[in-house]
Amino acid sequence: MNNQSCIPIKKEWDIVGARQYGRDIAKNLGFGSVDQARIATAISELARNIYLYAQKGKICFDIVEGVNKKGIKIVAIDEGPGIEEISKVMEDGYTTSGGLGAGLPGIKRLMDDFDIISEVGKGTEITVVKWLR
Amino acid sequence: MDTVLQDIVLGNSDEIVKKWINEVEKNSVHKYSLTISEELFDSTNREFVNVIFVSVQNQGSKDDLKDFAERIINFGWPLNYLTEGMQAFRRVTTNFIIERSETLDAERFKQVLESVDEWVDPIVNFLVSEYSGSWESTVSLQKVALQELSAPLIPVMDGITVMPLIGTIDTERAKLIMENLLEGAIKHNAEVVLIDITGVPVVDTMVAHHIIQAAEAVRLVGSTCILVGIRPEIAQTIVNLGIDLSKFPTKSSLRKGFQSALEITDRAVVNLKDKGNEMENMIDSLNKG
Amino acid sequence: MMRIPILKLHNYLLISIQIDLDDQTAIQFQEDLLKKIHETGATGVVIDLTSVDIVDSYIAKVLGDVVSMSDLMGAKVVLTGIQPAVAITLIDLGIHLKDVPTSLDLEKGLIKLRQELEE
Repeated sequence: MNNQSCIPIKKEWDIVGARQYGRDIAKNLGFGSVDQARIATAISELARNIYLYAQKGKICFDIVEGVNKKGIKIVAIDEGPGIEEISKVMEDGYTTSGGLGAGLPGIKRLMDDFDIISEVGKGTEITVVKWLR
Repeated sequence: MDTVLQDIVLGNSDEIVKKWINEVEKNSVHKYSLTISEELFDSTNREFVNVIFVSVQNQGSKDDLKDFAERIINFGWPLNYLTEGMQAFRRVTTNFIIERSETLDAERFKQVLESVDEWVDPIVNFLVSEYSGSWESTVSLQKVALQELSAPLIPVMDGITVMPLIGTIDTERAKLIMENLLEGAIKHNAEVVLIDITGVPVVDTMVAHHIIQAAEAVRLVGSTCILVGIRPEIAQTIVNLGIDLSKFPTKSSLRKGFQSALEITDRAVVNLKDKGNEMENMIDSLNKG
Repeated sequence: MMRIPILKLHNYLLISIQIDLDDQTAIQFQEDLLKKIHETGATGVVIDLTSVDIVDSYIAKVLGDVVSMSDLMGAKVVLTGIQPAVAITLIDLGIHLKDVPTSLDLEKGLIKLRQELEE
């Protein structure tokens, strides 16, 4: 199944648009209300990171199938400054924006799978998956 | 498929069966005979070897094998009975063919081994997958059953709800517990939620972490969470592990927890009749008479 | 951008947020509320979140800030009606809103405010 679709993130309102779109996909896949909120919140955080640090980028949605399971895959791609020390941003409480510092570790807790690729000066790609329970 | 070899095996099936049964009994009688009667063991062995021969004869047809496997699984025979049986068949058959061969060079040897593998391997694969299939379905059924008894929420009175937790708490269950807890608190409009961990055998750092998270989430939706049923050994482990539970109220028993739940909701239990007074009244009335 | 209406009732201000909050609206709301506290001299504020189904870290920060700011201006704030899904995602994000009073619904929130203000 290939349902990939992407939403560009350029302005603040796109954050709301992206999370609503993701929530609809999650709902149609059969996620419960709590997981829908988890997915939507994770998208919101990812989109906000793009908006804050890279100014523009995109969020892509995909339905993935594993052995006996199905899930939603969300990929956040930007061509921003990249992240110098990934292990540092994965620490709870680390922040550069003056937010709450929930950031990436928070997103990791909201979702099941988490993967990050980043190159300084080139950009960042974060992939998260939530499996249907 | 080497039909010559197949003919040798099928043509001498009686002899092979005899050898096989000897082999199987030698190997396994001490293991299974405790729970299984000798007659049943004998008849099952015969059935098993028949099924093997049928399968060798009509390559591909697995109907008999399926029936046999189902019955064996239902009776609860161990999987290694089947795998050991197949190993014995491989040994016996290979030996038998080799003993009958006039020429014994490397080529012949290889040919024999390959043919026997070709008969044995599909059967082994089939039996193992039947077994693991039945295990998987059992496991998933048990998972569902466990989820069903996972986290009941009992509204004991207006504004007070109890969730008794029983058994080990893993991450998956913790999520379910948290969801049930919060949904229930809202649904029953519960100002106080009591989590009773009397039935949780071990509270380690992870379990405590899940409980703390649940308690904090309960506070966010606007209720108060009281942790009750803390046994002495649980209190010891919690302190020894350095887990900080000071932020939310804990009580040793559900009774005490319920008492503070009543206080929080501005209520109290009153005796409708004062038994002490009644006694005095009775004695008074006797005196008067 | 939308403006969130703020209602006055005696010494209290009541706010029910019924839209998906974006950053601009949240900041605007923060300003409006503080201004309103200043104008009315309100001593208590109830912010009802029953209809809010997503609170991310930024919105949570704005809400947490507004509680501390109102406190500085002499108005106690209670958040009410936080949905289970929202509470769980906040906990997952590691946001505990420790100093923020909460209640199940608007009514209980008002009772809580009255009790706290009487003390």
